[in-house]
Amino acid sequence: MNVFTLDPAGCRWLRRASIAAVAAALAGILLLAVSGWFLTSAALAGAAGPVVALGFNYLIPSAGIRLLAILRTVSRYGERLFSHQAALGAMAGMRGSLFGKLAAQDARTGSDLSGGDASARLIGDIDALEDLIVRKPARPASLVAAGIGVLLAAFAGWASAVALLLLLIALPLLLDRAARRLTKQPAHDAAEALGALRTRYVEYAAARAEIAAYGLADRVTQDLAPLTQALDTARARLHRGEGAIAALLAGYTGLAVAIVLLFSSGPAPQVALALLATAGAIEAMAGLARTAFRQASVSEGLRRLEALLALPEPAATQAGGKPLPLRLGALRLEPGSRVAVTGRSGSGKTLLLEALAGMRAVEVDAAIGEQPPIAQPGTLLRSQFALSPQDAALIAGTIGDNLRLARPGLDNAAMWAALKTVVLDERIGAMPAGLDTRLGEAGGTLSGGERKRLSLARALLAGRPWLLLDEPTEGLDAATERKLVVQLDQWLRETGTGLVLVSHRAAPLSLVGSSVAIERLAPRPV
Amino acid sequence: MIWLLDVPGAALFAGGIALAVSALAGGDGISLLAACMILAGGLIRGGAALLVHASAIRTAQRVVRAWRAHLFPLLLAGRLARPLLAGESAALAIDHMATIEAYQSRFRPARAASAATPLLVAAIVAFASWVSAAILVITLIPFALGMILAGTAARRASERQLAALAQLSGLFVDRVRTLPVIRHFGAEDRITRQVGIATREVAERTVAVLRVAFLSGAVLEFFAALSVALVAVYCGFSLLGLLPFPAPEKLTLGQAFFALAMAPEFYLPMRRLAAAYHEKQLGDAASAALTAVEAETPEPPTSARFDGLQVTGLVIQWPNLHIGPVSFALAPADMVALTGPTGSGKSSLLASIAGQIIPSAGAVRTAGGGVLDPGDIAWAAQTPLLLPGTLAENIALARPDAGTDEIARVASQVGLDALLAARGGLALALDHRGSGLSGGERRRIGLARAILSGRPLLLCDEPTADLDAESGAEIVDLLKALARDRAVLVVTHDPALAAAARLEVAL
Repeated sequence: MNVFTLDPAGCRWLRRASIAAVAAALAGILLLAVSGWFLTSAALAGAAGPVVALGFNYLIPSAGIRLLAILRTVSRYGERLFSHQAALGAMAGMRGSLFGKLAAQDARTGSDLSGGDASARLIGDIDALEDLIVRKPARPASLVAAGIGVLLAAFAGWASAVALLLLLIALPLLLDRAARRLTKQPAHDAAEALGALRTRYVEYAAARAEIAAYGLADRVTQDLAPLTQALDTARARLHRGEGAIAALLAGYTGLAVAIVLLFSSGPAPQVALALLATAGAIEAMAGLARTAFRQASVSEGLRRLEALLALPEPAATQAGGKPLPLRLGALRLEPGSRVAVTGRSGSGKTLLLEALAGMRAVEVDAAIGEQPPIAQPGTLLRSQFALSPQDAALIAGTIGDNLRLARPGLDNAAMWAALKTVVLDERIGAMPAGLDTRLGEAGGTLSGGERKRLSLARALLAGRPWLLLDEPTEGLDAATERKLVVQLDQWLRETGTGLVLVSHRAAPLSLVGSSVAIERLAPRPV
Repeated sequence: MIWLLDVPGAALFAGGIALAVSALAGGDGISLLAACMILAGGLIRGGAALLVHASAIRTAQRVVRAWRAHLFPLLLAGRLARPLLAGESAALAIDHMATIEAYQSRFRPARAASAATPLLVAAIVAFASWVSAAILVITLIPFALGMILAGTAARRASERQLAALAQLSGLFVDRVRTLPVIRHFGAEDRITRQVGIATREVAERTVAVLRVAFLSGAVLEFFAALSVALVAVYCGFSLLGLLPFPAPEKLTLGQAFFALAMAPEFYLPMRRLAAAYHEKQLGDAASAALTAVEAETPEPPTSARFDGLQVTGLVIQWPNLHIGPVSFALAPADMVALTGPTGSGKSSLLASIAGQIIPSAGAVRTAGGGVLDPGDIAWAAQTPLLLPGTLAENIALARPDAGTDEIARVASQVGLDALLAARGGLALALDHRGSGLSGGERRRIGLARAILSGRPLLLCDEPTADLDAESGAEIVDLLKALARDRAVLVVTHDPALAAAARLEVAL
């Protein structure tokens, strides 16, 4: 369970939560036990006549009962608050470090978690941690409650205490066994069924247009039915298993109280104390039962997180930003040169750009700094190329957030200058919040072509020696396209930046002097 | 109603303890009957737990099945207000269903139990000590007031927390999704710091929120504990004969003890309800999301004969996407290409022309101005649907009554001959994964299906994407041939295909 390590602050909160949980459990047991003892003693004293009754010290127990009621409330509140504080801190740390770990992977070799599905699963796994940590304080609380239960049972005689001790030792083992028996298979089945259902459903959801056009909804729903049925069956078994654990606890309480009673040898008030304490001690074990029950479902997610956290940290080998020459097939390009890559759609032009950008592992007849891109470290590729990809690949957030991604320490003037180059300054200047406009929210809805140009502005701001552009003017009207090409030409000249262009449109192709056919480079994903 | 079984079990258990204690106090020694009552009480409670869980999940899954029966066709084929990514659709159809199941199986029974059980407990306690029962019921008044005060604040607080967490999850998902480009710009350190700060901020804000949110829990705990303490103190003083007021009832130890042992049962259902509160919140959120999807999906009115397509001022305006206005006309034997960059929403536009998504503005009509009949539209997808069955069955999905000759003819028309010869003809068994068919072969099956359907309007989504040059050219030729006797509308970013169309509409 060493999937995460709590920081010192987290440990402190968890310790406080455990103390509060122990106090709450103690107060809970004592409240009932002392009440029972008080009641019985009071009855005996009352029966013995007014003199004895008046001599009975009722102040301490009755004040104690009220005090315990308050103590239980306060400590239960503390337990919940402190344990959540520990859990939230741990989850925040976990999210941060996990993201750092993922981000540091080389896209060409790292494990692929960029799919929405995988990352959503990851979120779910981290959320499962909350439950795990919040339930941690229940453990010491159960143990202390058990101990105090045995102690109180001893008032009814040593035999009762020993019987209860044995019963309480047996209970966790029994719970563990029962939980494993009841949950292992269904939890596994449920996970399998869920995976199968999700895969199949996503396939159908992707084929939605055809299903709708040809009226195949019933057919497809029927096909999914066995999968949902399997999922429901497994989930129902899990839920019934939870009922069985609850039933086990309830029955065990009856059994334990009856046994403690049968073995008791003390006077009535002490037996009353012992009986109620026994019931309380077993109730306090419910926390353990829940933990045991959830274990099977939680451990799967934890294993995934563990595997991720165990990823190696790639070594950083920053080579500096000195412009390097580029070779595409037989064509050798000095820094500042411009070239178009031609070929039909689907022939691998995008693949070449992604290989140069360090986003994909691709074998290709090309070299940067005398080495094929696949052999160069990612940091070197990044210091040379800035890509504006085919899909704009914007991050959720403001327009400024997207531009600032390009380079640290960008000021507003630089961002506006880049937006002017890509003919977006007027459009974004007209938005009330300007650079702080959130994408996708009212006023920040950009068309496909506008998103493309925002991504182009970001690539310009990165200030790398080579610009990689994938269909930069697709979706633009002729006038805007002309303006963009003129301004881009000027920008390339002023900055001395090289250009690798993929486009089938005449206007941007006028930017380049030479071209190379993609078929010559034979890009092939590895 | 099964949860009511728990109360007699609890009463038997409490009665057993009371009997045992009063027998001991009366000098009668250990009562065997009491031990049996205690054990039986425990077993009955256990049985109740079993039955409640079994019936709760049965009911919950019935509800979920009803949801699915209505949601799956809507999500997979209905008219939607906005396109859903496959992942989003799966989240609605699968994850939200799980949430609703948990809501139904945990929160609903707990809520039902919390309404009636406390009063039943009070009624049973009243047999032993009506004053104790009255004490329990009276604590309900300040409890209710406290819950209204703390509960309202807590509800608002926890709703804020849920929203903040959802937003954080969204940020995290987005940053993981866009990691390639973040890495490309060497921004991983900065973004990691940003994610770290955001998560920490949300954690701190959440703790502040929880302080309030847990107050209602504390109110509940307090009154649960207080009711036990009050019953204990009243009964104790009553037995001592030291009540500061005239004794309203004559209590025996057995009665008093029974009242005490039953007292915790009074607030138990409320505590169980509080434990299921998280399920309630998530369930409510899921229901809201599902209800939003099924909102406003009016069936189009009766349709007209297809005599060409007229698209006027069609606009799509969603968060993240803006297309149009788009206007064009398509004759009954014609080809039009909609072109635009990847991610510009071409497929969504095509789906809204097909009536599968409600456009934000504009109209899609037949040339005569009537409503387009969904039965006139054939769709050739980029990755066509394959169902388990033979190749022939898959081609004939849109027209299951088609004869083998007809199927063979369209298969050959779309150039599947080589595949048929190599893989055993039309009887070739296919599974979901496509049984090793290439992307091009799969797309041809989709085209064959569309042709066989005999529908006069063919919509094609990127028919040549990711194909090698030769197969791409063949598909273009095929579409040109098809456009001689039907209306063909393609979305593409392939210039060769766009050039083959009579009209190119750039988005």
